[in-house]
Amino acid sequence: MTSDTRVILICSGKGGVGKTTLTANLGISLARKGSPTAVLDADFGLRNLDLLLGLENRIVYTAQEVLEETCRLDQALVKHKQEPNLSLLPAGNPRMLDWLKPEDMKKIVGMLSEQFQYVLIDCPAGVEDGFRNAVAASKEAIIVTNPEVSAVRDADRVIGLLNTNDIKPVQLVLNRVRPKMMESQEMLSIDDVTDILALPLLGLVLEDEQVIVSTNRGEPLTLIGSQSPAARCYSNIAGRLQGEEIPLIDPSQEGNGLGDKFRRLMQTKIF
Amino acid sequence: MAINYQNKKICFHKDLGKDWHREFEDLIIKKDERAIELDCGECKLNCYDIDYIKTLCIDKNIEIISLVSQNIKTIISASSLGLNTTLRLNKNINKNTAELAYSYKDIHNDKSTKFHKGTLRAGEVLETNNDLLVVGDVNPGAKVIAGGNIMIWGRLLGIAHAGSKGNTSASITALQLRPVQLRIAKKVARGPKEKPEEGFTEEALIEDDIIVIKPARTTK
Ligand SMILES: Nc1ncnc2c1ncn2[C@@H]1O[C@H](COP(=O)(O)OP(=O)(O)OP(=O)(O)O)[C@@H](O)[C@H]1O
Ligand SMILES: [Mg+2]
Repeated sequence: MTSDTRVILICSGKGGVGKTTLTANLGISLARKGSPTAVLDADFGLRNLDLLLGLENRIVYTAQEVLEETCRLDQALVKHKQEPNLSLLPAGNPRMLDWLKPEDMKKIVGMLSEQFQYVLIDCPAGVEDGFRNAVAASKEAIIVTNPEVSAVRDADRVIGLLNTNDIKPVQLVLNRVRPKMMESQEMLSIDDVTDILALPLLGLVLEDEQVIVSTNRGEPLTLIGSQSPAARCYSNIAGRLQGEEIPLIDPSQEGNGLGDKFRRLMQTKIF
Repeated sequence: MAINYQNKKICFHKDLGKDWHREFEDLIIKKDERAIELDCGECKLNCYDIDYIKTLCIDKNIEIISLVSQNIKTIISASSLGLNTTLRLNKNINKNTAELAYSYKDIHNDKSTKFHKGTLRAGEVLETNNDLLVVGDVNPGAKVIAGGNIMIWGRLLGIAHAGSKGNTSASITALQLRPVQLRIAKKVARGPKEKPEEGFTEEALIEDDIIVIKPARTTK
């Protein structure tokens, strides 16, 4: 698989915009569509991809031991029980940041590329060493941003850095879209964002309380087959990533259909 | 010894000292090579220093194949004098050099108009002593600085400073002028709040001591 493995960096610049959530949901969706997928936590400082996937308690070894050659790659990989096509390679402890070099990251990704069709790298926020290491090992990237001026500014900075590092293609995911606020122009519109960033839009993800609920349970929305708005968005993104033609949702039409109203009602009753 | 010969390269050491000019001359005479490579390490050499090296080598009929350095200033000096340069990044010493190298897209110093094609993104800085022509957008958070005029065949959404060396007759022209801030010579103005009408190229210049924006003139 090595050469046609897609190594995708999921990054943002600004913190807390939804990288880890996207990585987890995309990982599950791709795996569910039949592609062997590995997710790699490159955020050694504040790792939480394991948490989101509900795999925290199954970690024995990490990328650190693999690099130190005190364990084999397959010993460190944590296979997801319900979605066996998905494996997590956990980050080592935060002190790893002191010695980890771009070559180490390349080595790890190289090993993963032999077994997996997709390698998703959950990038730390910022543009420092952690980011640079992750960039060195990646071929393409997904920029996650929110419709906020500061998030867009940081995303723009990161896109500039990705361009100088020859990462291609770079695609955009706009997360936490609130149709009502966009309509009343309290939030940057989709056009405002794509206008500045000038990237192909891989997808939108609606603001959705269910994201928070699922995060706390360690079960990504895409895993439990949720029909909530964000869940649909995530699996659409996975589909587009694989080349399927799926039209973008129209935020102004969201939440108006009878079905949506009914679903909302159901959800408030259940949760 | 501040300068010596290693691996077929002339290497400059950290503490150069005052006498390095003579040392350098002695060394290249002794070595009697027709072409040399320079490794300037971390030394900060300005244009005069590089010019001295270059002139001496021309005198002695020696070709300078290339110059390697870890110091961005040295690289800028050398490339502005037309030498073939490579910036070597040393992780421990110069954490910020990569950043710098990336921000300072301009390293050439000749008199011609500086031309840049492509979008300038947040954090990028483009600087020249001459006129500047950008074909692409200047995004919020990006900055363009020119000793002369600035022309942007695209949108100006970031910061622009024309006449940076004090030329008050410099102007800033863009297909869409919506900067965060404008500067001409020492004057500073904040960008207009309201969106300009599409399709009118606009120009910012100093009139009666303040920066004004008006439809661009086609002749000067
Ligand atoms: N579409 C969404 N709707 C509602 N909440 C969301 C959405 N996407 C993300 N969140 C919430 O935002 C928070 C941050 O998300 P996440 O941890 O994925 O961001 P991150 O970019 O990985 O952050 P960091 O930079 O700290 O690694 C989480 O609490 C998550 O539940
Ligand atoms: Mg994260």
